[in-house]
Order: sequence, then structure tokens, then C-alpha cells
Amino acid sequence: MSVDLPTPKVGPVSRYAPKPVRVVLNWGRRYSLWVFNFGLACCAIEFIATSMGRHDFIRLGVIPFAPGPRQADLMVVSGTVTDKMAPAIRRLYDQMPEPKYVISFGACSNSGGPYWDSYSVTKGVDQIVPVDVYVPGCPPRPEALLQGIIRLQEKIADERLSGPAIAARRAGRFAGHRAATAADVTRGLVARP
Amino acid sequence: MVDEARTVERAAWRGAVAAARDEGFAFLDWLSAVDRTYDEAAPGYDVVCHLYDVRSPGALRGLLLTTRLADGEALPSVTGVFPGAAWHERETHEMFGIDVEGFDDGTGLGLRPLLLPDGFEGTPLRKSFQLAARASRPWPGGKEPGEGHESSRSPSRRRVQAPGVPPPEWGPR
Repeated sequence: MSVDLPTPKVGPVSRYAPKPVRVVLNWGRRYSLWVFNFGLACCAIEFIATSMGRHDFIRLGVIPFAPGPRQADLMVVSGTVTDKMAPAIRRLYDQMPEPKYVISFGACSNSGGPYWDSYSVTKGVDQIVPVDVYVPGCPPRPEALLQGIIRLQEKIADERLSGPAIAARRAGRFAGHRAATAADVTRGLVARP
Repeated sequence: MVDEARTVERAAWRGAVAAARDEGFAFLDWLSAVDRTYDEAAPGYDVVCHLYDVRSPGALRGLLLTTRLADGEALPSVTGVFPGAAWHERETHEMFGIDVEGFDDGTGLGLRPLLLPDGFEGTPLRKSFQLAARASRPWPGGKEPGEGHESSRSPSRRRVQAPGVPPPEWGPR
């Protein structure tokens, strides 16, 4: 069973919230992105560089080092996704509560990058999870991630909060062809030889 | 680091590894294979094992053991000499499709996939393995040097036909 947590609501009439209130709600959401770094290769180093003093994405409200996916709002997939790792990414994505966002960071997680024809590399993380923002580069500079975060925040600012709008946003995320529930990727404990 | 290299027959493989261990090359670095099917004199697979002698600090000695297997021949397992070779032999088995006889890693499960995802078919490190993504996935731009938007300016570049690139009969690309 995949974890299917509903989007937190601000009360039954929130869908009728006037625009100023919506702006305030979105403003709170966009500047409090707890980020879960799915670092798989060298791009993860650039992600870490972005979180450190010089580039410092905390000033944009992006808070690194969430204790786990269950406390995170944003997943940054940075690095080469392999077919072996793909079910784990899907599983951790399913564990994140709504609203959740994904940034695909770097050529490998965008499309497979230089390993696009390899036997073991997934041709883009968007085959497994829906991606909101793609950051190109190999690896991208930290400034590129900052730009990607700003793009995502603009996207969040434009979101509508009504029930139908949330349902529409969620609709594509659980499409049958890419749904890998946690049960699909669970296996028994490995017994010690 | 290779200070010494030895080539042995397939039948002498296990004995050669055991003898090297007794000589002091008691640290198994890695074991893998090399696809030599293009070698017309003796087509097959080189199985390579790298051992270290770590007895004297500051003076590591490396030993490279090689044996040539014809296609379809099984490799005598060295798990009896180095139990840690089990992972390497499993990887060699799944990547090159080389059978290992006498394999025993203590679990009784035998040779089974180690690194490849579940349900993967094929032996991807063989040169004959086709990278199907090249045939099935549309790709923007050039796949090889000399293709793509620069190709009109460099028509003289030779087209690369590397192992694994699907031949034209796989369809238009």
C-alpha cells in the first residue's frame, strides 16, 4: 500500500478563500520547503555546496536535512538513477506527505545524461515520479539549483487551494503506469548466511 | 598495481590461486572477466584475478592471474580459497554469463544475480550485448561524434561503431 496522505486543509471554506488569503497561504508554503536530498552521484556534492554558506539556500526558505521523507516537502533527486535504485526512490516519494514537489537536478536524473544508453540507468527520474522542475547541467552549478528553487516557488505561488484544484494536481501523480506501491518493492529480510 | 602477471590454463586456475595465496598474495583485490571474443586465435573470455601481498608495509606487491575460457566453458570456483571471491564470481556470472563450477558461498543458494535489477535478462558486459535504449528511445541531437547539428560542418568524421551499438537491422534510429 502506498502512503496516500491528503493535503492539509485550512478548514472547509478554504476553497472559497479570497485571493489575499491564498497569497498568504502560498507564501507560507513556498518559503518553508523542507528538502530531502536524494543524492545518488556527483550532483549531490553540488547540492551540498548549495546548502552551505556561500550559496545558502536556507535564505530562500529551503531547509536541508529533513529527518526523513516523512517530514519533507521537496525531494531533490541529484545523480544517476539506476533501475535498481528506482523502486527505492518511488517508495520514499510515496512516503512524503502532500503537498510534495520534486526537483530533478542534473542531466542524469533528467534523462539519463551521459549514461542514457546504459543497460542499468533509468532514462530520467520522471519515469518513476512526477517532476516539477528540471535543472539542466552536468553537474549544474549551485546557482542553477537556486534558480530551480525559485522557479518551483513561483509555481507554488500560483497554485490554487480549492479542492478540485488539489485533486487535479494530484491526478497525474498516481497514474497506473508508473504507480509502484511500497508492496511492489518490499522484500523479505536477508537472512544471515 | 601489477608487479607480476601469470597466465594459467583453465584446469590449473584454482591451484594457481591457492599457490599464490600460499606464497603470500593473501589479499583478494578483485576478480572479473574481459571479453576477448574478437581474438581470432583463441576467442573466449579472460578471467582475471588481482591479488595483493600485504605483508610488508610500504611495499605492496600485486599479482595478476589470468586464464582464458572458451565461450561456454565453466570457471573453476575459487570460493574455497578466498570465500570473498563469491561476490566477484556472482558478478562475473551475471555480467558475462560465465558459469562457475564448484561455487559455494555458504548459503547453498548457488549462483544468483547480485547487482542487476530483478527480472533483468541478458549479460550486459559482453560485447555482443546490444544497448537497446539506442534503438528504442528517441534522442534529441547526436548520439555519436559527428552527428547532430554539427554534422554538416564535419562530414569527414568517421562514424563510430562501438560494441553494443545496435546494427542497422534493429531499425531506424
